[in-house]
Amino acid sequence: MSTKHLTPEELNKRRIGAVRRRLDGQTVAVAAKQTGLSAPTVSAAWKAFREGGWAAVPVRPRGRKAGQAARLDGAAQQALVAWLAEPAPAGEPAWSSAGLAAALAPQGHEVSSRAIEHWLEARDLKPAPLVLEGLKRRRSTAGRWFRQRVEPTLERVSRAGGVVWQGGVRVSTPGEAVAGEPRRYQLYLHGKRGRLYSRCLAAPPKADDYLAMFERLLDQAAGKPVALIFHGACFDPVPEVGRWLARNPALELVVVPPDTARSLKA
Amino acid sequence: MTTLTHLEKLEAESIQIMREVVAETENPVMLYSVGKDSAVMLHLARKAFAPGPPPFPLLHVDTRWKFRAMYDFRDQMAKEVGMDLLVHINPEGIEKDINPFTHGSAIHTDVMKTEGLKQALDHYGFDAAFGGARRDEEKSRAKERVFSFRTAQHRWDPKNQRPELWQLYNTRKHKGESIRVFPLSNWTELDIWQYIYLQSIPIVPLYYSAERPVVERDGALIMVDDERMPLEPGEVPMMRNVRFRTLGCYPLTGAIESDADTLPDIIQEMLLTKTSERQGRVIDHDSAASMEKKKQEGYF
Repeated sequence: MSTKHLTPEELNKRRIGAVRRRLDGQTVAVAAKQTGLSAPTVSAAWKAFREGGWAAVPVRPRGRKAGQAARLDGAAQQALVAWLAEPAPAGEPAWSSAGLAAALAPQGHEVSSRAIEHWLEARDLKPAPLVLEGLKRRRSTAGRWFRQRVEPTLERVSRAGGVVWQGGVRVSTPGEAVAGEPRRYQLYLHGKRGRLYSRCLAAPPKADDYLAMFERLLDQAAGKPVALIFHGACFDPVPEVGRWLARNPALELVVVPPDTARSLKA
Repeated sequence: MTTLTHLEKLEAESIQIMREVVAETENPVMLYSVGKDSAVMLHLARKAFAPGPPPFPLLHVDTRWKFRAMYDFRDQMAKEVGMDLLVHINPEGIEKDINPFTHGSAIHTDVMKTEGLKQALDHYGFDAAFGGARRDEEKSRAKERVFSFRTAQHRWDPKNQRPELWQLYNTRKHKGESIRVFPLSNWTELDIWQYIYLQSIPIVPLYYSAERPVVERDGALIMVDDERMPLEPGEVPMMRNVRFRTLGCYPLTGAIESDADTLPDIIQEMLLTKTSERQGRVIDHDSAASMEKKKQEGYF
C-alpha cells in the first residue's frame, strides 16, 4: 500500500505500531495488514528499530530545512538568461537543466538541475511534451494526423535505428512571482523520457535559430535519421527552411497541424 | 406594460432608424464590411423588413486585402439572405496595384477604401448608406450623429451637425448631399457580442480564438493569411492562439492573444478588457486624429 498520502506524523505512528506488533511476535505480513503499511515499509521500520532503537523508527522530516534551499542570486539568474539566449555548448541540441546547473558550478553556484527546473517553471519555460499515446485509435483530426503523418515517420525512423524528438516554439507567460520579467520566445525540444532542452530569445526566432537547432539534432544522431514532431511554427512560407530540409533528408520534420496541439496536451 | 431590456431598446432604436431611412430616402444601400457589426446590422435589417428581404442592396467596398475567411463568409451570407451584393474595387487602385506594403496604410486606405466608397456611391447614385460604426469605437465616431450628412464631395463637417433630440431625425437633404446612417451608434462592443450570442448571429470564424500563423510588426500580431504577405529575411511565422476583435485588411489588422473560442468566453473577455477594439487597427495610428481626418475626406 502506498504511504505517500500519509502525513509524516501519521506514518511515524503507524511505523511505531508496526514495530510493536513485530515485537509481539506477529509476522511482517500481519503487521503490514493491521497498520495499513506495505510489507517493505514494515521491514524497513523493523530494521531501523533493530539498528537504532525507537529513535530511529520515525522517518526524517520531508523536504529541505528552511533556508537550506539552493538560491539563484541575481548574478546566477542573469547568467542563466544570457546562456539561454545563446546556443548550448557543443554536443547538446539546446540547454538542459543539467547543462545549466553544470555551467553555473564553476561560477560558485552549486545548484541542482531541479532548482533550475523550478526557476524555468516559474517563468513558464517548462512546457510539457505532447501526449501522443492513444492517438492511433482516436477518430479526430489529431488521430488522422497521427495515423497518416506521425506513425509512418516514426516507424521508418525506428527501423533505421534513428531517434525521435518532439519540439516547438512558444511565447512564455511568466507567473505572478516573476510578473515583471519579460516574455520570452522559447525554442524547445523534448528528448528521451521527456527531457527538456531550450533556447530562450527576446525576439521571435529566425530561420537560422531553428536550423541551428535542427543541425545539432543531426550532429547528435551521428548519421542516423531523426524524426522531429514540431509545434508552433509555420515553415511553409520560409524558403530557407524548405531548402535546408531538402538538403538534409535525415531529419524528418512533422509539423503539428493548427489546433491539433490543444488535444495533445496532458 | 412590458419593460424592454437594454438590448431590446437598442434593437428597437436601430430598427426605427432603418425604417426611417427607407421611408425618407430614395436609394439607400447598406455597407457590408463582413465584420461583426455588419453581421448585426444585417440581422437587424432582416428583422426590420421581415418577412421580405430588406429593400436595399448590400455594398462591399473591397480592397483585395481582406482575410480569405471574410470573402468566404461574405459570399455565403449573400446567398443566404437573398439580397443583392454589390462589390466595388477602385479600378485605379487595381491598375496601380495599391497595397498596404509598398504604399503604406494611409495611401492604401485612402485609395482603396475612401475613394472606392465615394466611387461606388456616385456610380450607383445612393443617397443614404447604412454603416456599422459605433460611438464607443473611436473619438471621432463618438461625436458623429446617427444621420451624418455629407456634401456632394462626400465630405463631413464635424462642426456642422444636426441635433437629434428625442431620437427625431431631420432627413432633409440639400441638393447633392447624401447621408451616412449609423443605426448601431449607441451600441457598445459588449452589446454587439451579447446580441450576437442571444440571436445566434453567424460571424466570421476569425473572431474566435484558434491557432493561426502570425508575425510581430511594431508590437501588433499580423496574421500571414496568404502568400502575398512579405516576410522579413529569415522570419518564421509562429502559430499562436489568437483572435480578432475587429476585422479589416489583414496586413493592417492586429490580432490579440486569446483562448476565447466560444461566444460566452468572448463576452467574458469583453467584460475584463480595458482597451478599444480599434487598438488593433494600424490605420488608426497613422497620426493624431487620423480617423477624423479620414472621415472628413469621406471615409466611414
